[in-house]
Amino acid sequence: MLEKLIELITQYIDIEPDEIKEGSRFMEDIGFNSYDFMCMLGDCEDAFDVEIDEAEAAGNKTVGALLAYLGGLK
Amino acid sequence: MEKIIGGIKRECYPLTAAQMVHIYTLSLSPTHEIVNIGTGQYLKTELNISVLREALNRAVERCESMRMRIWKDPDTGELLQYVMPYENKYFEYYDFSALTEEKAHAILDRWTSQPFDTFGGELSRIVIVSMPDGYNGYYFNVHHCCMDSCSVITFTKDVMDIYCHLMYDLPYPKPMASYIESVKKDLEYNGSKKQLRDAQFWQNILNQPEPMYTDYTGFGRMIQWRKENPEQRWGVLSTKTGAGKTVTYDLSVDSTNKILRFSEEYNIPVSVVILHAIRTVLSKFNNNETDVTIKDFVSRRSTLQNKRSGGVRMHCFDLRTIIDLDKTVLESMEIINKAQQELFLHADYPTLGFYGQQRQIFGYPQGGCYQSVSFTYQNATLKSLVPYLKDIPVKSRWYNSGRQPQPLYITAMHRFGDGGLTFHFGYQSELVTPQEIEFLYYFTGRVLFRSIENPNKTIQEIIDMT
Repeated sequence: MLEKLIELITQYIDIEPDEIKEGSRFMEDIGFNSYDFMCMLGDCEDAFDVEIDEAEAAGNKTVGALLAYLGGLK
Repeated sequence: MEKIIGGIKRECYPLTAAQMVHIYTLSLSPTHEIVNIGTGQYLKTELNISVLREALNRAVERCESMRMRIWKDPDTGELLQYVMPYENKYFEYYDFSALTEEKAHAILDRWTSQPFDTFGGELSRIVIVSMPDGYNGYYFNVHHCCMDSCSVITFTKDVMDIYCHLMYDLPYPKPMASYIESVKKDLEYNGSKKQLRDAQFWQNILNQPEPMYTDYTGFGRMIQWRKENPEQRWGVLSTKTGAGKTVTYDLSVDSTNKILRFSEEYNIPVSVVILHAIRTVLSKFNNNETDVTIKDFVSRRSTLQNKRSGGVRMHCFDLRTIIDLDKTVLESMEIINKAQQELFLHADYPTLGFYGQQRQIFGYPQGGCYQSVSFTYQNATLKSLVPYLKDIPVKSRWYNSGRQPQPLYITAMHRFGDGGLTFHFGYQSELVTPQEIEFLYYFTGRVLFRSIENPNKTIQEIIDMT
């Protein structure tokens, strides 16, 4: 699941996959802006076949937190 | 699909939903220059014209959407697009250095008012120019079906990167992404799961009670309309010619930094801070109306592929917020932020589809709407993208075609020179006077700064302060 999320992130941000850790913060460390982040959350719905609550999902500030959130929806 | 066009076999694709918005605009406009985007990029330095010509050619070769043509199938009437193979071009050079700046820009405004032949012709024009005061660069006019403002900035960056590579041996820029691949992906949206989810989201929005129109000049127009229809909640802003102008207002770097600091401190996007100011002014101008709608333009460029593929991807939708006057500035911004995030998430839905459904549900006539103001925030700048140019004064100019597709379109952009914010107010001149635009800008600025200085004051208190 982590690999899949990292692959998704690298479609949005010009970053090497091994620079992305579970503790990486989307905005500060990876370089997302709010628009790109929301769009990536939208793509997560298809990639992980889940339905996301935007407000809840947007509250996940790190890769690990988003992974846990997505895992909980399965 | 393959088509024979002018005796040559071409691979053709339908137009995307974003392109169809501009085709729709053309269908309502007597003249085609309404979809022109004219810009000028000038550096205060000597430029090697033959190297710039080479850089422009390479940039056009790398950017498929610069070579895009639209073709109307004579058998079916369907509009299709295809990409012409690259051919080396000789870009003309004009020397305006002996003119006044005003005169030089007036010529380029006039060039921008020359329509392209939308269905079959070349859809862009590039001319290398020397401007007064030692600035040199190029003028660029492009049809909106080929590019939007994000593409124009990306193309400009590519030209400058290639020029710097050829002149100073800096690294060659990464390849551009394929425009056609982006088009294919856009066309795959039809019938997808994502489309179903987006359709459901917009249907839920449209199922809510009818919105309330708020006019940027105040309540006067609505009073007139309500003489005929006392219950009317929509407005009609239409013009015969689409004649329009753009005025620009530069915010100082200090003031811009205040907004950026606030945005960072409270983790609120700059676009939301500005939207809050515009909607509060609309509320103030319309008897403290709490139900305010603004047409929000979305670039839809989130992936790396979309950021570097050129083309036009912008969609727009109504951003409706109902905010009671006793809410604080921060609460107002949180409401706007949430609404905008939801809009972003479902912005792949076709704009024309949304407005068609809205018109059907609420029964307003052609030209009817609930918003008088359109807004977009553009955060990419040439300066931030081309570090080599950091010590060279840069001037950028967006030219006026003499037509405006929206009653009032406010674009907030960071200046290429110092990064300060510039507000472009493009307005249809049959509907509003320059004084009314000045008035609107003045109050937007007042509300904006009173708000960020007093984030815990209520909207009513901010309105009273301004």
